Amino acid sequence: MSLLSIAARNLLRNKFRTIFTVLGAAVAVLAFVFIQTMLTSWSAGVEFAAKDRIATRHKVSMILPLPKRYADTIREVPGVKHASYFQWFGGVDPKDKNNFFANTAVESKTVFDIYDEMVVAPEDKARWLADRQGAIVGAVLAKKMGLKVGDRVTLQGTIFPGDWQFNVSGIYTASRRSIDQSQFFFHWDYLNESVPEPQRDQVAWISARLDDPTRSAEVSAAIDRIFDEKDVQTATMSERAMNLSFMAMFSAVLSALDAVSIIILVIMVMILGNTIAMGVRERTREYGVLRAVGFQPKHVGLFILGEALTIGVLAGVVGLGISYPLVELMFGRFLEENMGGMFPYFRIAPMTMVAAVLLAVTLSVVASLIPAYRAAKLSVTDALRRVA
Amino acid sequence: MGEGQREGKKPIVELDGVGKTYFRDKEPVVVLDNISLDIEEGSYEALMGPSGSGKSTLLNLIAGLDRPSRGSARVAGQELSGMSDSALATFRSRTMGFIFQAYNLMPVLTAVENVELPLLLTKLSRGERKKRAQTALRVVGLEERMNHYPRQLSGGQEQRVAIARAIVNDPRIIVADEPTGDLDRKSADEILTLLEKLNKEFNKTILMVTHDPQAAERATVIHRLDKGNLS
Repeated sequence: MSLLSIAARNLLRNKFRTIFTVLGAAVAVLAFVFIQTMLTSWSAGVEFAAKDRIATRHKVSMILPLPKRYADTIREVPGVKHASYFQWFGGVDPKDKNNFFANTAVESKTVFDIYDEMVVAPEDKARWLADRQGAIVGAVLAKKMGLKVGDRVTLQGTIFPGDWQFNVSGIYTASRRSIDQSQFFFHWDYLNESVPEPQRDQVAWISARLDDPTRSAEVSAAIDRIFDEKDVQTATMSERAMNLSFMAMFSAVLSALDAVSIIILVIMVMILGNTIAMGVRERTREYGVLRAVGFQPKHVGLFILGEALTIGVLAGVVGLGISYPLVELMFGRFLEENMGGMFPYFRIAPMTMVAAVLLAVTLSVVASLIPAYRAAKLSVTDALRRVA
Repeated sequence: MGEGQREGKKPIVELDGVGKTYFRDKEPVVVLDNISLDIEEGSYEALMGPSGSGKSTLLNLIAGLDRPSRGSARVAGQELSGMSDSALATFRSRTMGFIFQAYNLMPVLTAVENVELPLLLTKLSRGERKKRAQTALRVVGLEERMNHYPRQLSGGQEQRVAIARAIVNDPRIIVADEPTGDLDRKSADEILTLLEKLNKEFNKTILMVTHDPQAAERATVIHRLDKGNLS
């Protein structure tokens, strides 16, 4: 028997209250894990960005176009192994306009030199290169839309108006789980030939693969210097920086999620603080007895902290226990399949699990500080007089 | 358990001009006024008086639960009036045993665990603590109930467990605040007999606050308090 074990056993006095308190805190842990996993998944593109890839965009904004000919110039820059250009298409499935997925016009011959973690069967690739209206579709998107090789797909253009016809030439998978498998790629030439003259020969960005990843900053600076005196200047950055700048467009959403996360934790502290304060009030007389028989104020404080610690550990463990099936197996799979563009790999990171348990324990202790301090400061005679 | 007679009859409690004043909304309320009292070691004394006469306050001062506002309170050779909270706690754990009217056992602990509680402050091993707690329960005649929880015991049995808790650290003084107040006559008599046994067989000094004249009659000395003064 020790003070800590007595504190833990005290929690069994009001099982109903303890169960609901632990469940309340566990749900807060679940919400925290869910939001943090969402943020981690969202930033997976940044986290897993290739170190030997750089991207060049318009210096002013990534929504402004670059001349396609810049790609040829970039290929000549020392240190650049491959380069390929891309154009946003922004098409939607006319049968399901709410089904968002990235669709991009790409330079067919070079795109898989740049993104070699996208795996396409050689026969699919050959079929695609041979078909002007061919498209390569991610495995997750193909499953979701029920597409297979040979199917005909119509996308409705939002940036480039009209109904655009495509043939599914192949399905790509990924050799790395962080790669979004819900994208739709087609020939830039098909787009370029079909748009009005003023919109022709333009690209959104150019990606390049380098010989030596350690020279990324140097090569990027060299590229931008070349275009410094041109009408359209460029901003070249690592893939990580490019993804970050893309994410910056959602910074308000990310900040809001962070704020929600903090609010949840504050609510958790209040729930725990209230429960612990009620328990302390009910047991004040017992603390008086402990003090009478010789226990010091610090012992009473530790006694209460021990109870809080036990609740925190239970809440952390139960919270993680319910998080795994709900966040990873249910929500995670759903989001990967339906919103793979934003959440290509929705799994709970080990750091999130550790943080969730530590936060549950720490916040439980924080919530008990005031009740513990007040109980420890109460005079023995006042405590003994107290009737719960 | 007991040490037998310590050094014959000498005061273990020496109060000299002790007073206690509380403040209620900044208004002073004198609860005890110039109390002088000696209690000999090994005696069994009762404090009687009407409600609000200051009995429990006097008991608290002697037990080291509170400090006097004035005067000197010397108990077991130590001056309590100038001691810190921490020193008072140590003094209580080594010198005092407490018995309360409402037993005040911890409901989540078994009888033997409740008795063991004060020993958590000592450096005794777990086995030694349990052995001593069992011995204390044997003294109060509850050894066979040691694994029962308070809710499984009668009022009289609960109070006997509380007495075992009070004697487990072999205190020189036992203070009892209305120890029979919540009990029927039969249980009360059993408790009073037990206190007598502790006094006579183990030479424990017992100071008991009571309203019950029959309980007070068991004591060798009866002190009467009225409006904060000993009469």
